[in-house]
Amino acid sequence: MNVMRQTDDATATAEIKIAAKGVQVYYGDNHAIKDVDVDIADRTVTAFIGPSGCGKSTFLRCLNRMNDTIDICRVEGKITLDGEDIYDKRVDPVQLRAKVGMVFQKPNPFPKSIYDNVAYGPRIHGLARGKAELDEIVENSLRRAALWGEVKDRLNAPGTGLSGGQQQRLCIARAVATSPEVLLMDEPCSALDPIATAQVEELIDELRSRFAVVIVTHSMQQAARVSQKTAFFHLGNLVEFGETGQIFTNPRDPRTESYITGRIG
Amino acid sequence: MNEQHILRAFDRDLEAIQAMVMKMGGMVEAAILDAAQALETRDEELATKVRAGDKAIDALEERINEEAARLIALRAPAASDLRTVLSVLKITNSLERVGDYAKNMAKRSNVLGQMTAISGAGGSLRRMSKAVVQMISDALDAYNTRDAALAEDVRNRDREVDQMYNALFREFLTHMMEDPRNITACMHLHFIAKNIERMGDHATTVAEQVIYLVTGEMPGEKRPKADSVTTIGVEDA
Repeated sequence: MNVMRQTDDATATAEIKIAAKGVQVYYGDNHAIKDVDVDIADRTVTAFIGPSGCGKSTFLRCLNRMNDTIDICRVEGKITLDGEDIYDKRVDPVQLRAKVGMVFQKPNPFPKSIYDNVAYGPRIHGLARGKAELDEIVENSLRRAALWGEVKDRLNAPGTGLSGGQQQRLCIARAVATSPEVLLMDEPCSALDPIATAQVEELIDELRSRFAVVIVTHSMQQAARVSQKTAFFHLGNLVEFGETGQIFTNPRDPRTESYITGRIG
Repeated sequence: MNEQHILRAFDRDLEAIQAMVMKMGGMVEAAILDAAQALETRDEELATKVRAGDKAIDALEERINEEAARLIALRAPAASDLRTVLSVLKITNSLERVGDYAKNMAKRSNVLGQMTAISGAGGSLRRMSKAVVQMISDALDAYNTRDAALAEDVRNRDREVDQMYNALFREFLTHMMEDPRNITACMHLHFIAKNIERMGDHATTVAEQVIYLVTGEMPGEKRPKADSVTTIGVEDA
């Protein structure tokens, strides 16, 4: 019927990959996330938007326990990945992060070769038996990150020698190399030029066929372009969560309306 | 919701484009009233003025379309801002059509001026025109004040215009049956009546855009309609 709506219909029936219920986050006395419930659908791009300090990045970091590294940070509530509590004592955060990969705001390749950047995860997680298999993982990951063609002849060159956009795609290749099920992206394009941004956005759309992708972005246009679901955070509350088209044409909450039309900062 | 954008130039752009729509609405209302008066008083000069004035309405429509395209390209409006721009485009389109009908009425009134007058027709058409002008004016007021209830009222009032049209349709039939020499004049008068009835439909469209702008959803189909001329004659066949 309507081709533009088909992807939305598909996501409406997608299974829930991550379910968060009653999540509270405290940094010392600061109540940063207030009772957030959210379901992240599989094979869907979910965008978190909101003004600086609204808690969107903090919440994103709860999804792979990155907040564990901050001493004063306390997380309450329940977050499950495929129905299993990720904050359970038996869960190894390192194993969790192999399943729930992350890409950061600034490209941060290791000071190693392009090859070793991508091979690092599979090596420490023992995902490859032998060199041939590792080569294959590296190639596939670089292909998935739309970088293979540009670097295949210089895999031993340092990753830090690439352009900003290439470095970010290298970080995405590194994140997908461990075959994650969920990919978290915290402002992945904020340091990139428009062309590199478009390439990363195209990549996000392709990754959606394999993973659940959660992206934090300050660019509302980016959220509108790449996501199927959008969550708006404000002052630590999840104000509205809905289909992206609905959020951008007819938001239900006046705070969402004010934010996306540029009336509050 | 806050009224003002952080970027105030965005507010200025939106206000400017809406002010142009209001101006266009005023020009269209004046054109209808002038055309109806020219018809009733057989004022050829006034009719000519209405015909010439349509160019300014068309030019303003073009200007609004350009500004709307520019605003979409430069400001990427979302949510109610987006609906504002979309409704501006639709309303402008409707107003332009109404302007064309007024121009057509003026054209026919000059032709009718050469013929024997049909008694009562000019007055009836003028009353009908006034009802339509009131609808347009209220629809634009509803737009300005984001008043969905007033828009709904305008939408319901279209039925009265339909009823006036039905009555005129029968009246013209009677005149034509009484004396075939009335046929030419009555045909012109009938087209005028039909055009005014169409203006009412456009006023309804404007009102529906107001409802869309305010609520985010188009009103449903159920709207009182009283245009029954499509079946007139069936009972006699």
